[in-house]
Amino acid sequence: MAPTLPSSDQASDQDNWDNGRLARKRQLLIEIVLRNRLTALVVDGDTTCRVLEQLLLRSYGVQTQGVDNGRDAVALIASGVKFDLIIIDMILPVLNGLEATRQIRDMGVHCKMLGVTICSGESERQVFLAAGVDVFIEKPLDPEHLVPILRELDGQ
Amino acid sequence: MDVVNQLQRQFIDYSASLHREGFLDDQFTQLQKRQDDNSPDFVVEVASLFFEDCEKLINNMARALEQQQGVDFKQVDASVHQLKGSSSSIGAMRVKDVCIAFRSFCEAQNREGCLRCLQQVTHEYSLLKNKLQTLFRLQQQILAAGGSIPVVE
Repeated sequence: MAPTLPSSDQASDQDNWDNGRLARKRQLLIEIVLRNRLTALVVDGDTTCRVLEQLLLRSYGVQTQGVDNGRDAVALIASGVKFDLIIIDMILPVLNGLEATRQIRDMGVHCKMLGVTICSGESERQVFLAAGVDVFIEKPLDPEHLVPILRELDGQ
Repeated sequence: MDVVNQLQRQFIDYSASLHREGFLDDQFTQLQKRQDDNSPDFVVEVASLFFEDCEKLINNMARALEQQQGVDFKQVDASVHQLKGSSSSIGAMRVKDVCIAFRSFCEAQNREGCLRCLQQVTHEYSLLKNKLQTLFRLQQQILAAGGSIPVVE
C-alpha cells in the first residue's frame, strides 16, 4: 500500500526536513575531502556515461578529461599526459578497451585503472583484469566503489 | 507559501510514483542529489543527452533489423549494449530491463524477438521522456514560485 502524506502542512514540512537530514547524513558516508589535486581520464564511447562519470569525479574535486574511443586514449597517454586514475569501458569504438588497456600498460604506465563496463560476467571480469585494469566495476560507477579508491590515491 | 508547499508535495508524490513504477531507480536519486547551485540544470541536461543517445541508438537498431538480406545481430547487440550502459548510468530502470531481454534475443539471432524488444524499448523510452519532462516542469514551477526542490529518498 502506498504511504500517504500527513494532511497538515506543518507535518509535510517536517517530513521534508527529516528526509533532507537523512539524505545529508547518508551523503556524509560517501563524502571525502581530497588533500591533493587528483586527475582522471574517462574513456567511454557513450556520451551519457562519459558525462556522468566525469560529473561524479568532478563532484569530488577530481580534474577530469574525457575521450570517446580507445585510440584517442592511447594517443593521449602516449603524448605524455599523466593521470592518477583512468576509467575505461571494455567496449569502445576504433580501438576496444581491452586492447587500449594493454597498450597503455605496455607503455609502462602504472596508474590506477578502473574497468567500468556494463558487461557483468566472470569471464569478462577475468579478461579485463588480465588486460591490465586494477579493478573491475559493473556500470553504473557509484560513490561506494569510487570513494575508497580516491581515498587510496589521495594517501588517506 | 501554500503554492510552494502544494507544488513540492506534487513533486514528491510524482517522484515517488516514478520510483514505485520502476521508471527510475536509486541511480537517478543520486544524480539529483549531486545537483547544486553551481550546476542547477545538470539533471535536465544529462537527461537531454540521454534522450539524444537513445534516439540515435534506437534508429541504429531499427536500421540493422530492417535489413532484408540478413540482419547483422552483432551490430544490433552493440547498440543495445550501449543503451544498457547509459540507461543504467542515469537510472532508467525499465529501459535497462528491456535491454537485458533484447541482448538475449540478439545472442539467439532471433529477429522477431528483437523486433518485439525494439518496440518495447521505444515505448519505454517515450514513456520515460514524458514522465521526466513532467517532473522537470514541476521543478521549474517550484523554483519560479520561490521554493526549493525537495530531496526525495
